Amino acid sequence: MTNDNSTHELLNLWQSQEPQATSMSAKELRDASSKLEKRVFWRNSREYLGAAIVVASFGYYLYKFESALLRAGSALTIAGALFVAMYLYRKGAAETMAAGQQSNSCMEFYRMELVRQRDLLLSVWKWYLMPFVPGLGLFLLGMLQMVLRQPAAHLHYGVVALWFGFSFAFCAGIFAGVEWLNRKAAKALQKEIDALDQLHQTPEKTLDSPAL
Amino acid sequence: MTSPQSQPDDLYNEAVAAHGPALSRLARGYEINAEDCRDLLQEIHLALWRSFRTFDARCSLRTWVYRVAHNAAASHILRSRRMKSKTMISLEEIEEQGGIAAKDNTGQSIEQGQLLERLFALIQCLNPLDRQVILLYLEGMDAASIGEVTGITSSYAATKIHRIKTILANRFRNGGNHDKR
Repeated sequence: MTNDNSTHELLNLWQSQEPQATSMSAKELRDASSKLEKRVFWRNSREYLGAAIVVASFGYYLYKFESALLRAGSALTIAGALFVAMYLYRKGAAETMAAGQQSNSCMEFYRMELVRQRDLLLSVWKWYLMPFVPGLGLFLLGMLQMVLRQPAAHLHYGVVALWFGFSFAFCAGIFAGVEWLNRKAAKALQKEIDALDQLHQTPEKTLDSPAL
Repeated sequence: MTSPQSQPDDLYNEAVAAHGPALSRLARGYEINAEDCRDLLQEIHLALWRSFRTFDARCSLRTWVYRVAHNAAASHILRSRRMKSKTMISLEEIEEQGGIAAKDNTGQSIEQGQLLERLFALIQCLNPLDRQVILLYLEGMDAASIGEVTGITSSYAATKIHRIKTILANRFRNGGNHDKR
């Protein structure tokens, strides 16, 4: 059998498959559309709920503690959570607009999606991690100050230093780990973008100069 | 008088009447699991229905349908790939592995079901762009039409088609029941 015969028969076999439902009624489409909107709503709600928990917890600390450092740390953490919630709200609106690009050529669209995901990953530290750094840093310092003011603190300096060092290293480690994973994923996406650019010879920003 | 809603609805109906079965096959090419495939097909139909609000007839209905469908599917696999950490390869890499795969097929004919299964397995491991090209090729599109949908040049599409033919011939050279005839 020749190659042409064999591929021709494969084409026939492919095209003769029994199709699943080939269309959706207007009602099914509206239902699917509202299901999609609900999914986005619940996804966003989870993020907003997380922000609300942070605001409530640190709102309580703001009220409860008298130390200026702890109160400033709490207030800044609340501000950070509100900033993240606001960013997510605005990003959701931008995603809806991007849906209008679906009729672009596949390569253009796929590249756009890769760039969007890469930029999102590279900017995580900026909009998701950094807003919490000043607040949590001050809060930790406030905790340290509170412990050191205890009457018997001078007897346990070693334990206090260990506790503070561990807390600081734990927070820094989580932030650094998230950032490292995101950078790694962004590099993989960049490789795909570069491969697409080689096909089209369209210059694109590299990882060193992302459009954030 | 037609309502503002009727034109997108009419276009959607026209599109699925002409390309509905192809969209179903396209969804299978991206998601082998029946439930995931059904969800993807629904996503594709929804994207298509919504897209007709901005249809400007600058390209043919067929090109529009395939672009929207493949773009919806590519977004879908980008999302699932991040969740499942799937590795995808190119047609060129598969062609390099051709010799090894061909050995598996020697000396035995394959039933049509198995043949389709193997074809799906091949499609599933391809990166999005090559997957789009092979799926469009399997729908019987020529290099120029594939180029129009995907955005690659028609000469590059022709090169890809040539590779696809070689890979298919190597991997499926013992064919289905037709070999017994």
